[in-house]
Amino acid sequence: MNSETAPTDWKGRAMQARIARRYAAERRFKALGLGAVLLSGAFLAFLLVVMVGNGARGFTYTHVAVPVDFRTTPLAIDPARLSDPDADQAIAGAGLSDIVAFAADEALGDGGSALISENAWKEVRSAIKADPDLLKRRTVFELPASSAIDIAAKEGAKGELGARVDALERDGRLSTGIHWPFFRNADATDPAVAGIWGALKGSVLTIVIAFLIAFPTGVLAALYLEEYAPKNRWTDLIEVSINNLAAVPSIIFGLLALAVFINWFGLCQASALVGGLTLALMTMPVIVIAARNAIKAVPPSIRDAALGVGASPVQVVFHHVLPLALPGILTGTIIGMARALGETAPLLLIGMRAFIGDVPNGICAPSTVLPMQIFLWSDEVDRGFVEKTSAAIIVLLIVLLSMNALAIYLRNKFEKRW
Amino acid sequence: MTFNPAALLLLILGLALIGWLAGRARSAMLAGRTGTKLHSRPQYHGWYVALWLFAPAAIFLAVWTSVSPALITNEVLTSEAAKDLPAFGFERGAILSDARGVAQGRQAAVRLPAAAPLVRPYAEATREYAWIGIAAMLALGLAGGLYAFTRIRPDFRARTRVERIVMGVLLLASLVAILTTFGIVLSLLFESIRFFRLVPATELLFGTNWNPQSGAPQPGTFGGIPLFWGTVLIGAIIAMIVAIPIGMMTAVYLTQYAAPTVRKWVKPCLEILAGVPTVVYGYFAALTVAPALREFAVMLGIPNASTESALAAGIVMGVMIIPFVSSMADDSINAVPQAMRDGSLALGATPNETIRQVLIPAALPGVMGGILLAVSRAIGETMIVVMAAGLSANLTANPFASVTTVTAQIVKLLTGDQEFDSAKTLAAFALGLVLFLVTLLLNIVALRVVKKYREAYE
Amino acid sequence: MTQDDLIIADPKMRAEGVDVFYGEKQAIKDVSIDVGTDLVTAFIGPSGCGKSTFLRSLNRMNDTVASARVTGRIELDGEDIYAPSMDVVQLRARVGMVFQKPNPFPKSIYDNVAYGSRIHGLAANKADLDVIVERALTRAGLWDEVKDRLNESGTALSGGQQQRLCIARAIAVDPEVILMDEPCSALDPIATAKIEELIHELRGKYAIVIVTHNMQQAARVSQRTAFFHLGTLVEYGKTTDIFTNPKQERTKDYITGRYG
Repeated sequence: MNSETAPTDWKGRAMQARIARRYAAERRFKALGLGAVLLSGAFLAFLLVVMVGNGARGFTYTHVAVPVDFRTTPLAIDPARLSDPDADQAIAGAGLSDIVAFAADEALGDGGSALISENAWKEVRSAIKADPDLLKRRTVFELPASSAIDIAAKEGAKGELGARVDALERDGRLSTGIHWPFFRNADATDPAVAGIWGALKGSVLTIVIAFLIAFPTGVLAALYLEEYAPKNRWTDLIEVSINNLAAVPSIIFGLLALAVFINWFGLCQASALVGGLTLALMTMPVIVIAARNAIKAVPPSIRDAALGVGASPVQVVFHHVLPLALPGILTGTIIGMARALGETAPLLLIGMRAFIGDVPNGICAPSTVLPMQIFLWSDEVDRGFVEKTSAAIIVLLIVLLSMNALAIYLRNKFEKRW
Repeated sequence: MTFNPAALLLLILGLALIGWLAGRARSAMLAGRTGTKLHSRPQYHGWYVALWLFAPAAIFLAVWTSVSPALITNEVLTSEAAKDLPAFGFERGAILSDARGVAQGRQAAVRLPAAAPLVRPYAEATREYAWIGIAAMLALGLAGGLYAFTRIRPDFRARTRVERIVMGVLLLASLVAILTTFGIVLSLLFESIRFFRLVPATELLFGTNWNPQSGAPQPGTFGGIPLFWGTVLIGAIIAMIVAIPIGMMTAVYLTQYAAPTVRKWVKPCLEILAGVPTVVYGYFAALTVAPALREFAVMLGIPNASTESALAAGIVMGVMIIPFVSSMADDSINAVPQAMRDGSLALGATPNETIRQVLIPAALPGVMGGILLAVSRAIGETMIVVMAAGLSANLTANPFASVTTVTAQIVKLLTGDQEFDSAKTLAAFALGLVLFLVTLLLNIVALRVVKKYREAYE
Repeated sequence: MTQDDLIIADPKMRAEGVDVFYGEKQAIKDVSIDVGTDLVTAFIGPSGCGKSTFLRSLNRMNDTVASARVTGRIELDGEDIYAPSMDVVQLRARVGMVFQKPNPFPKSIYDNVAYGSRIHGLAANKADLDVIVERALTRAGLWDEVKDRLNESGTALSGGQQQRLCIARAIAVDPEVILMDEPCSALDPIATAKIEELIHELRGKYAIVIVTHNMQQAARVSQRTAFFHLGTLVEYGKTTDIFTNPKQERTKDYITGRYG
């Protein structure tokens, strides 16, 4: 044996100082970790605060009280035509917009018609259609203000605009209420009437199509790979494809859809159909991977038990494995669908970025989706769209967060039952 | 009479249901009459008949739906009225689609006068082909159903047959993934080859000037280096400088220090961060981060400060990637056996020494794999760069200047009013091919590394 | 329980009235025991009896389990190791541990052995460290087998070599006590024999406590044996006495293989 050294002097000053240093390093490191967590949290909080701060105002709108007297400025239209299908065109043709503009000038002074939205007369039109008697008297309409006035009233403004708003405020002509057109309408160039309903409906159609295609395909593919597939070069290829597709940038799927669905098959451009197909291809690998994990988690003893009582392999899977794996599969599917719902990039390439002023009425009709609407509005010059963009983001986040919360809830509820 | 695929699908589904009922009833009846035991339970006979009825009809329906418009148009073009049509181009297409719209009831009247005489031939052809299609579909479906129906006997192995079909369907479903992969590769390759006929591949890969113009491709305007550099600067450098330390430290804190309750609350928060759509990050970057950074840069006196800076896009992209890095690191650190940690602590190491000198080195392959996946995700990210990074192709290392990326350029090239065959459009596919190959390489390497690492500890 | 005939003149560690709880569950009930300085002490008992749990409370490894709670008094050289003034980092350096499954770090053989010295700053320079590593590997009986491949990974060694590497790693910090938690349970008989031989050689240099479920092993390597059952210390005495002449009925039943 070689020579013994003296036992370590743990109480010595040098050693004590060293240990103190090590503990200081420990505290610093731990603080660094906590800092990283807090920083991530701060990013999230900051993002949410900015969006909510900007967007909360997007749900309301400023209205200006404008009296319109149809006795002095009559609308030349036969009341009988008001219930015709083409009443909208008839009223527009009779010059209602001029009457409303004139009334605004009268009531609000010079340039008064610029203070209300250029689409304000359409509100009057709906009111007249609902109650033709309005044409026989003077009525005070709460008309949407122009975008500039709306912003000035909400945020305060200086100069001429500010003075105008102050004057309106003094006269008690301004009121603020929930902006219903925001929930009812499709896109428009005027923030006073632009809404998310068109985009929301487009999103729903797109996601339903994506789900109808991706879910069955994904689950069946996962069942095959996990339960039946022989181990050979083909199944390896399928595995590699799926794992890679799950990580391929989403924009590549847009290129695929453009080349195949639109240029080859000539499917309807910018439609929910093509959008849904694209997102289905993108989401399917995610569902396959989630479903395979859920199927893997079903213990083999259950398969053995079913096989033991004489069930065929197909019966084992469809009667026993699939029902047990379903909660896990659904969790993965919801997360995948939420991701698809927030996706924008591939849809940009298949024409869904066009301005769509109508609510889509079918899967082949040109439509847009909510994230795309956000993208389009974020590019608008009109300042009124800033808060509309944030408001649309709030709606999108609420939908996505509810989906994710549902997935987390499902996961916690059904985690490890065996 | 128009050919409405959705309604027809419902029709054959209804027929299949009848087939199912009939098959089930017949097998039960046969079993009762002959007094033998059925090989398969009655509903399998039902399924057998229903599938034989549904599958041929549905396949025919799919084929007919895709080929009949072309057949109808051909028929119309051979008619008397089509003689006056312009021979080529946009106008011809517009007239045809106008007439088709009226003939098939999607619009009330023609918009182009030239389309009016075509409406009748169109309507007739449409009707004719609808009848042919429906009749053929029903004939095929019923023939299939009848064939199956006559095969029902008590000892007929209907269950085995049905299960074989089910297996076939499962296999088909799993082939969709391969089809998609092939679809991507082929469509990108096909269009890229057309592009490389116009512009040499070496120019795209090594050229330093990116300034594509409409019309015939001009030499020296399709140099991809500035785009590649911008992509690397934003996605692989700036975003990773943000995401790797924060993501790693978050994972370390959550796995090693945090109390279970903290972990329970922080993880969902990170999942929320991961679930925020990229368009929201993009808007956030453009609206809040970019202007702030520009002001900061101006304050420091940095030249070329832009509101569309690489830094703004990169930082926000990094934030987006944090949850991804953290969850990959979390998994990797958790995969290191507890014994490793105990071994270090039992020697008197502090947790921090244990983490830095034992756990992280042991988890490194997994973490590296995760980082590669994160890079692949960052360079393929589109919306943040489209909204915040700008479109000017600069070859600069100044993070406050504006750069552009591959994905942003793909979007820009494909969202103008180009002809589909123009060099600009094709260039988007060539860029897509480069992006696809790079991310594919990163993914394959990363997945290999992670898999090897997992196996090492199992 | 009687300890009258136990002669432990110079206890290295002593436990008095120790209880260990995992959450609500009590894993160890009122255990008092002395561990001799120059002796090998074996803890035996059926699986789940708490012997490993008790061992882990001797160097406060139970601290790493969030729900674990230790009450009572455990002393090292008369110092309460659960006192606030006791530094757990130092404690574990003085009371080393070898685990059930060999757990070398995924580092080179040299770095595995040098790890403890490096973090505790026991070597002033590279030459010192070389000396420490060589001495630890020699004592662990591994030097001749690995001296030419010190830069290879520790995980590349065989199971028995890995466990001796882990012993060398513990020795390198120059501990006073070495706790071994079933160190041979993952090894084949030949490797087990080598470890037992090693324990013989280390005896007298360190106080050694070994947990084992293998009674023959306890009889071969230890001078003192403690029998645990259901979280209590049933009997403690000279190994020869425990195996030839147990005082308690339960000990006798276990030794003779009635249960376990």
